Amino acid sequence: MKRVFFTIWRKEMLDAVRDRRSLMAAMSYALFGPMLMAVAFMVLIKDVVSERDVRVHIDGAEYAPALVNFLESRRILPGSDEHPAQDIWLEIPETYAEDLARAKPIPIVVRADYSERSAQSQRNRVESALREYGQSIAIHRLTLRGISSEVIQPLQVDRQDTATKGSRAALVLGMVMVFVLMSVFFSGMNVAIDSSAGERERNSLEFLLAQPVATHWLVAAKATAAASFAAFGGILALLLIPVVFLFVPLEKLGIDFAMSWSQQFVIALVLIPLALFASILQLFVSFRAKSFKEAQTYISLVMFIPVAAIFALEFTRFEHPILKMLPVTSQHNVLFSSIAGQPLDVMAVIAGSAITLALTLVLVGVVTRMLRSEKVVFGL
Amino acid sequence: MIKTDGLMKAYKDVQALNGLSFHAEDGKITGLLGPNGAGKTTCLRSIYGLIKADAGFATVDDINAADQPLEVRRRIGIFPDKFGLQERLTAREHIAYFAALHGLHNDTLKAAVERVIQELDMADIADRRTAGFSQGQRMKVALAQAIVHQPQNLILDEPSRGLDVMSTRILRQLMYRLREQGRCILFSSHVMQEVAALCDHVVIMVKGQVKAEGTPQELCDRTGKASFEDAFVELIGTEEGIML
Repeated sequence: MKRVFFTIWRKEMLDAVRDRRSLMAAMSYALFGPMLMAVAFMVLIKDVVSERDVRVHIDGAEYAPALVNFLESRRILPGSDEHPAQDIWLEIPETYAEDLARAKPIPIVVRADYSERSAQSQRNRVESALREYGQSIAIHRLTLRGISSEVIQPLQVDRQDTATKGSRAALVLGMVMVFVLMSVFFSGMNVAIDSSAGERERNSLEFLLAQPVATHWLVAAKATAAASFAAFGGILALLLIPVVFLFVPLEKLGIDFAMSWSQQFVIALVLIPLALFASILQLFVSFRAKSFKEAQTYISLVMFIPVAAIFALEFTRFEHPILKMLPVTSQHNVLFSSIAGQPLDVMAVIAGSAITLALTLVLVGVVTRMLRSEKVVFGL
Repeated sequence: MIKTDGLMKAYKDVQALNGLSFHAEDGKITGLLGPNGAGKTTCLRSIYGLIKADAGFATVDDINAADQPLEVRRRIGIFPDKFGLQERLTAREHIAYFAALHGLHNDTLKAAVERVIQELDMADIADRRTAGFSQGQRMKVALAQAIVHQPQNLILDEPSRGLDVMSTRILRQLMYRLREQGRCILFSSHVMQEVAALCDHVVIMVKGQVKAEGTPQELCDRTGKASFEDAFVELIGTEEGIML
């Protein structure tokens, strides 16, 4: 009976490879995810890391040359023709020198649209430079009056960042892994639809079912063909991640990213049961549909569930022992712990894979029953 | 040999088969003739074992289709009602796929595919993908896939629908050849001329029951009509649903 399995699998693979739509779908999700992340990171790095000059409008610069010099040393410069100022206005009053000499508070206005998030870091830099300058004047004044500057610093806050490079990487790279999981779900989708609802649409399903082939082998072979594409997409995305990040200067974000071959191998192995599960789930849905389009609609609704689960886990970092056992979440867990630099929980990996495979087998049984039912096959 | 005995099948409120019993013997072409909605397709589906009858049974070479569907399917070749081809495969690959599903492999498979391609004179289209095939070419592929494993029984569901003269001739010649080889051929149709011209034995069914059976001549004699068409109308008792 095994020969029949391979016959059908080979035919479905040949069919899918010749179908440009299936091939493109499998490749594009795998390529698109890591690429998108790489671009996003590049933008992020530019934004966060570069100590660019802040150009501001300074009104009354002539009243406070020392302050302007100080701001310049903090790379906060007045706008010029070459570098126009941003929408941040700094107003130094006419009475600056006078007030300073009398030790009166000097009103300095920082005017900007505080709801605009993109200029937030610039505003912060302007404000903290002003605070720093004010602090140094205060210290001078106290020193002149014979008072130690320590008096006005009762607390000394020492900020120690405990985030390791690995855990910071996990935060960011978790998103990348979401793409790997998603490409498992999306790469095989077209093949699954084409070999079920497509078969029905082409009027070849009934004839195929009338062949001397045990239905469970038929279902298993079709699921395996779709899963081959799903696993291919997932593994391609996985292999592309280190390649893509060669071009992204992650170290500037303080992220240390390294994925060893052995890690990739383990993840690839973990993805295989997930690919089988995803494919049989898709077959289950699309064998009920009468046309390719109908199947696509149903599947996109059903696929929302695992995708939502992955995103929810990614954002909330919710943990529960049972999640290490379930399909999708257990694979997510393995991927996440491998990038967070946590040791691999071998028992959990085996349990998660075993449960995923068991559920896959149950679904094979369900789809087999479905295809033996006249109601589903003939739509009676 | 194909037999049905007291087949009953109801869908919701429609009684599709209502105690259908007939024989199709080896070395004969048996025509299943009936108006649209007479239950022909349901009958054939029960013979393939795709549908479980509410009562009665269908056998192929004395094997019950409901109990051993795989064993039955190994003994039949099917020319389906709607033949969807695998459009991304070439004709040769398509035929080979179904030959493999019937358990042929390696050299036996290659030889069987080659033989059927020669037999149906389709060498010129064998290595083209089936996507752009004409109706006649599609019919050849469907016929080839039905007989590639040399089944003892051949079942054709409305085979000449939409075929031109040449394709119909090919189909007929093949059926005559298979009859000479002593195989059992059952074909369903609602086109009377075709049945009258081809069949050794005609089963006229209406509303899921056999109304009459015999050779076309016998049926004419029985009703006292000169033409088979008039005999048919007389037998089914109405002119409704007949396509001339």
